[in-house]
Formats: sequence, structure tokens, C-alpha cells
Amino acid sequence: MTRVVLVDDHDLFRAGVRAQLEEGIEIVGEASSVADAVQLIKQVDPDVVLLDVHLGDGSGDAVIVQVAPERPGVKFLALSVSDAPEDVIAVIRAGARGYVTKAISGAELSDAVRRVAGGDAVFSPRLAGFVLDAFRSGEATAVDAELDALTAREREVLQLIARGYRYKEIASRLHLSPRTVESHVSAVLRKLQLSSRHELTRWAAERRLI
Amino acid sequence: MRIPQVERSGDGAVVAGVCAGIARTLGVDPTFVRLVFALLAFASGAGIVAYVGAWALLPGPDDGEPARRRRRIIGTVLLVWSAILALSGLGLSNSIVWPLLIASAGAVLLRRESRAAGIALVVIGIVLFVSHNSAGSATTLLAPGAVGVALAVIVGPWAWREARDRARAEERADLAARVHDSVLQTLTLIQKDPANARRLARRQERELRAWLYPTTASGTLADAVDAAAAEIEELHGVRVDVVHTGDAALDERTEALALAAREAMANAARHAGVEEVSVYVEPTAVYVRDRGRGFDPAAVAADRRGLAESIRGRMERVAGTAHISSVAGEGTEVELQL
Repeated sequence: MTRVVLVDDHDLFRAGVRAQLEEGIEIVGEASSVADAVQLIKQVDPDVVLLDVHLGDGSGDAVIVQVAPERPGVKFLALSVSDAPEDVIAVIRAGARGYVTKAISGAELSDAVRRVAGGDAVFSPRLAGFVLDAFRSGEATAVDAELDALTAREREVLQLIARGYRYKEIASRLHLSPRTVESHVSAVLRKLQLSSRHELTRWAAERRLI
Repeated sequence: MRIPQVERSGDGAVVAGVCAGIARTLGVDPTFVRLVFALLAFASGAGIVAYVGAWALLPGPDDGEPARRRRRIIGTVLLVWSAILALSGLGLSNSIVWPLLIASAGAVLLRRESRAAGIALVVIGIVLFVSHNSAGSATTLLAPGAVGVALAVIVGPWAWREARDRARAEERADLAARVHDSVLQTLTLIQKDPANARRLARRQERELRAWLYPTTASGTLADAVDAAAAEIEELHGVRVDVVHTGDAALDERTEALALAAREAMANAARHAGVEEVSVYVEPTAVYVRDRGRGFDPAAVAADRRGLAESIRGRMERVAGTAHISSVAGEGTEVELQL
């Protein structure tokens, strides 16, 4: 049984998610604000937090930053209607294990929750597109070359995710095991979170201005 | 910072307890305060007028609220008068004292609610100052600048606040109009015609997103593919999810790429029997993928123009390639590359 806390400031949306999650996933609490969410998550210690990027009194990354040091075992999956890349990148950099759009089907969301609970990273096509964009430029100015650029393989995997491929399909297309695909994806996520490249933040800031 | 409340003092009063009260509030010897008033009395009698004004203005230990209010006006007038006397007595000419006082009164009124009266007083003060001091050459040069600075200091913040408030109100009105014209109308339509809810909601979502997150510039490849996706959604009632990284200007080749992609989306929407089509755009490539029923590309009849002409032919004419992979029951992907 995967225990989930649902954090979203829209009652209607929470009701929709509750109705769609499959057997084996139990919602053990709901919150609609950053303050409530932080308190609730520390109290019930769930496996996964489904976290909206925008909340009434702040943004989703504020929840992660306040909870993560005390509850390192809790995994966050960001969930949003937002298409603004800087918002999405901000929650991922704060430590979320993946990002899916709210248009996702109930079955896919359930699958994403189980994968995040199992320690995997979840990349939707849109997130893969954002990440490819973020790492696109400036390899030459990198401070830490290891962290600040994607390998050819990682880029290839991300590109296939952006094209709508699932891990299993990527594995068979690239003649890899699904486990290897997953480790590439986790490596990309780690780079995104640890990269010292200021381009990542500058890129996000520029997007807001357009 | 709070201004300490001064009260006239009952104990130690010589005349009305004004000096004793002030001394107690300031924590100094009453004799010192009396000495200041006495000295000021030599400046055209300013000290005496000030004493009477303070008597009227400062509440006694057992005055009620209505009594205080009545005496406030008389007291203020007397204190202002004493200030004029004192400044004149210090040797400042009338041509400086009066404009200064009028302008100060105006500035005080500006901080309160009567802006028009405040501005009028400030302007009168400035005009008086300029007209009385236009003789000397130095003042002639300085006065216009001083007037400008004074006006900017007093009117500037107010004008800026007004402009900001107006901009905010306009923004809010614009938002309300937009929500009314689009979102509310669509919700009404959906209630009347639930069968079309998905298509209506999708169209509304697209419009709202384009307004909220205007990410792609017009006249680029990404823009052209977005527009094509919108048309296909509209025509066939499927969801077309477009993801892009990077972008390219529209020229003959990228335009052909966008048109071929549109045809691939149309095929997927028509034949795959799915509700969603994924599209991924790079500066020199577009991938269109569905998870529908799939087909055998070799078995497509030669007279079906779509695949042969609109996709392959179009890409080959601009020295590009079109690769179609499809597995029955698993879906189709069209890879278009320049």
C-alpha cells in the first residue's frame, strides 16, 4: 500500500485525483496551503506527496524545502497545469522526483506514484523538453563539467521521453535494460538538482520576461 | 515615533500652567521654558502670542473632548501667527516668511485629504516667493529650479500613485473582460452542450494558455506547429500535446516540415482511434506519435495521397526525410527530419 498526501489548493482538483487513483494507493491526508502541508506531511510521514506547483500562500518548492531535512524518506511528485518552465524547474531543483501535468490520466498518475514511491524518477514529455532546453547552451562555460552537461546517452533518453516514449520502449529501442534507462533518468534528475550552472536559473528568469 | 502628549499642568502654574506642562513633558526645569517664552516675546511679541496659542491648544488636566476640539483651531491660528512674528523678528523678510508659511500649510493639507486646496496653497506660496524675490539676479536664476523641485517633491509621489492605481484598475478590468468573454462563455456552452465538453474545454484551455504563457514567437517553426496542432484538435476533437525545445525561423524548409507534421497529426487523429497525439519539435525535426491501432505502411493503397505526397513528397522536395514506423496495436510514429 502506497500512502499519499495530496497538496493542492483546488478542492475540485483534489476530488478528481481522489476518484482516479487506483487500488493500492491510499490518500492519507490532504492540504491546500504550504503551512498546512508542511505540518501534515511531518505528522503522517507518507511515502509520496503529490504536490501542486502553485499554492495559495506560496509555491510547491517551499513545502519541499521545509519538509525534506526532517523527512528525507518522503518523495515528492510535482503536479501542475502550469506550463511555465521556471515553475517546474524550481520544484525539481528543490528535490521533487518528477513532474507530471494535470491532464495525465488516472492510470498514468497511479503508475507515476508507484514509480516515485519505488525510488524512480518520473519525467513527462514536457519536463523532458524543459530539461533539454535548460541544458542546451553554455557547455563551454561550465564550472563542473561532470554535473553541468548531459551525456550523449542521457540526451538521447530525454529526447525519446519528450517524443512520448515509455521507459520500456526506450529500452528496447536503444537496446538497454529498463533499469539502465531508469538510471540515466535519475542521473539527469540529480544533475538538474545539483548543477552549479547559473544558466539554469538565468534561463528560467529569461523565460518569465518573454 | 510618537509625539508625547503635552498637558497644561495644574501644579506649579504661574499663569495658566503652559510652561510647567511643557517642562514636565520634556523633563526640563520650568524656568528654562519660561525663559524661552520671555526671549521670544522680544521678537515682535511672538512669545506672548505663542503662550496664548499654547494655552488654547493644550488640554488642561480636566478638559473634556468637545472643549479640546473647539480650542484646537484658535490655538493653531495663534501659534502660526507667533511663528510669523518670530521669523520676522529673526530678520527674515516678509517675502520669504509668508510664501514659506503658505506653502507649508499647503503641504500639510496635501498629506490629509484635501488635495486640491493643498496644491493651490503650495502653488500660491511658490508664486508669491518668485514674484517677491525676482529682483536679485541670483534668485532669478534659482527660483524656477526651486519651484520645479518643490512641485516635483510634492506632486510627484501623488501623481505616481495615481498612475499606478489607474494601471492596476485597467489590468483588473482587462482580466475580468477576458474571463467573461472566454471562460464564462465556454462554461455556459458546456452546460448547454455537454456532448462537446471535451472539445470546448480543450479550445478554451489553449486560448487561455496562449494568453498566460506566450512562449513562442510568431513566425517560427514552433509557432507553426502549435497552430497546426490547434487546428487538428478543433477539427477532430483529439488532444494534441506539443513539446518543443529550441526553435527555428520559418523558411521554405521549416514551413514544409510544419505542413508535413500537420498532415501526420491529421492522420493520427483520423485513423489511430486515440484521444491523444504527442508531438515533439526540435529546430530541424518534428516527431508525431500516437498509441493507436497502427498499420502496415507497405500496405497503404498507392492512391492514398496523404502519406506519399503530403508527408514524404513534401519532405523530400526540401531535402529532408520522413520515416514512418508503425506496429499494429501499438501505435505509430512519424519522424520528420531536415
